[in-house]
Amino acid sequence: MYRYDEFDRTFLAERVAEFREQTRRFLAGELSEDEFRPLRLRNGLYIQTHAPMLRVAIPYGLLDSRQLRMLAHIARRYDRGYGHFSTRQNIQYNWPKLAEVPDILADLATVDMHAIQTSGNCIRNVTADHLAGVAPDELEDPRPWCELIRQWSTLHPEFYYLPRKFKIAVTGAATDRAASEVHDIGLHLVRGADGITGFEVLVGGGLGRMPIIGKRIRSFLPQQELLAYLEAILRVYNRHGRRDNIHRARIKVLVKALGVPEFTRQVEAEYAASRAGAPRLEAAQIERMRAFFVAPAYRSLPDEDPTRAGAAPGGGAPSVSAAFIAWYRHNTRAHKVSGYRVVLVSLKKHGEPPGDMFDAQMDALADLADRYSCGQIRVTHDQNLVLADVAQTELTALHAALEPLGLATPNIGTLTDMICCPGLDFCSLANAGSIDVARQIHEQFSDFDYLYDLGEVQLKMSGCMNACGHHHVGHIGILGVDKHGEEWYQITLGGSASGQVALGEVIGPSVAKARVATTIARILDVYVERRNSSEESFLQAVRRLGVAPFRERVYAADTAAA
Amino acid sequence: MRQILRQHELGLDPWRYPGEAGSGPQLLTLAQLLAAAPLLPAGVGVYMEPTDDVQQLAGVIDKMALIVVHFEKNGDGRGFSQAQLLRQQLRYAGELRACGALKRDHLYLLARCGFDAFDLDPTEDRGAALAQLQRFSVAYQGSSGTLVQPRLRTQA
Repeated sequence: MYRYDEFDRTFLAERVAEFREQTRRFLAGELSEDEFRPLRLRNGLYIQTHAPMLRVAIPYGLLDSRQLRMLAHIARRYDRGYGHFSTRQNIQYNWPKLAEVPDILADLATVDMHAIQTSGNCIRNVTADHLAGVAPDELEDPRPWCELIRQWSTLHPEFYYLPRKFKIAVTGAATDRAASEVHDIGLHLVRGADGITGFEVLVGGGLGRMPIIGKRIRSFLPQQELLAYLEAILRVYNRHGRRDNIHRARIKVLVKALGVPEFTRQVEAEYAASRAGAPRLEAAQIERMRAFFVAPAYRSLPDEDPTRAGAAPGGGAPSVSAAFIAWYRHNTRAHKVSGYRVVLVSLKKHGEPPGDMFDAQMDALADLADRYSCGQIRVTHDQNLVLADVAQTELTALHAALEPLGLATPNIGTLTDMICCPGLDFCSLANAGSIDVARQIHEQFSDFDYLYDLGEVQLKMSGCMNACGHHHVGHIGILGVDKHGEEWYQITLGGSASGQVALGEVIGPSVAKARVATTIARILDVYVERRNSSEESFLQAVRRLGVAPFRERVYAADTAAA
Repeated sequence: MRQILRQHELGLDPWRYPGEAGSGPQLLTLAQLLAAAPLLPAGVGVYMEPTDDVQQLAGVIDKMALIVVHFEKNGDGRGFSQAQLLRQQLRYAGELRACGALKRDHLYLLARCGFDAFDLDPTEDRGAALAQLQRFSVAYQGSSGTLVQPRLRTQA
């Protein structure tokens, strides 16, 4: 991974000093709340329902073990012993004290971490495929590019006060695991005619009140032009994006207003005109960055199915437990190197808020990463963690260590591996609770055999239309709405964040809080009854059937009950 | 006359902003400037609003003695792009002044974008503001106002 040098550390120290002084001025009454707000937001600090919320950046979701231990320390020392991993691969603390935030930032800086630009109308933390570097379907590792973007966007003097927040995601694999098509800019590494990689550039995707899938404005951008081209896009947006209405200020609105051809023309014109002064990526610089992300020294190991360990050659039962087999099937993924496996660490234990992690779990997982996975941990955009480089022969030991920590729930990819925002319990924007609805769903669907029979179902839930929980692109989406002071939930079906990216369709009027889980159960009943075979996934069935049969079941029951 | 912060000092400024009475040379609005463009004498000054297109100054940039960019409200970052364009694409080399809803916290970014004079919010402590120019000793990206050598280099 990228290693900070004196340059990065000097910058971070100066940044912490700046915010310490700004916080002092605010507390001394020298800065008004309106003046302090944009300054604190650009250091990750929100004022929430109960207390400030601090969002710490985890650039492209990559952590080393000492950084995870620091996150545990922050949770213990300054918060209430836990943190919440977000859909943008960051971590949020819900109970810090404002006066202590400069100290938290100083502690983070000791392990080369920060909270810079994790909120505010600026370029946010760049996100990437959580399987970068280990996925069998990868063309090129996106992380060197992410780090270049991180450095370029950090305190960029021209783009620090944009019309609205700005999110960039980069992927280098056939499967999009970073939801790149619903970002302000989605970058896909692709191979050019000469075999050299460059970027396909999508602009104007996003969720929120106006969900839109990103539009391609460049099918191939030479790699050394990346930052120059990003600068052209940002300059067009900074000059012409709307600033009169916060709900119309994202770049997607500008792209829509101008139309894709005209927006593209303006970007290309700016790109051509701004050659002088534009960032130039030299080959040596790109190579230097790639060197930070070279693969670890893998051992030469045979590819053996660990679920068959101990089985007699002619048959006979394997010696591993049924629990291990379920975990292996659902919580591990193929690795590009023979003899290795990617392990997904589930933060979706039934009964716990999705994405939350206690300090002791963080410390323990850091130790396990050191022991089993090159000392690195990744955060996924669907709020789980990854140990990416585990030898197959060590999977049983790792599973045995994760299980008592509550980090081995074998539900990855199933209905209960849901995305969930903090909702009304913490967030001042929310209209409705998310965490207690997640708990309700966990209670309703506690039978793992049933979950496995359903196969892959992506459930994504947001407590308001800002869509931090990505409900629009959930196979099942749940959106919390406020109806005369009561919490209600709108259900969508058929959304998808990867492959054939699609926005879900609303099935009908929203349902009462107490009925969310039973409504989901009815929807799943229709799927189980109507699927062509066990091969047809929930998403495929929804696409084939449309929402009508699901709607009929959900609301027919209402009529019968009335 | 108002107090203006230039790179390393406070100075008095004779220019009158649009609508201001008194003596001293008058800054023109962009519309006034363009209307007078064919007969424009050298040494004029213009007052740019956030919505003004700086590219329209291309034909008269050599006659400009002062360009003032107005930051209408805290959080409106259009002026940063206006400055970058003036310095990089129009090659403007004269005084480029930021005015409006600006505190010391904006100063470093303004200077990095090519501003070399600052008419800050009247309540702001000018002396404390000056120190902000030395807030960071390193910068990741190049820009019009090079205070320090950036890590990511730019095209000449």
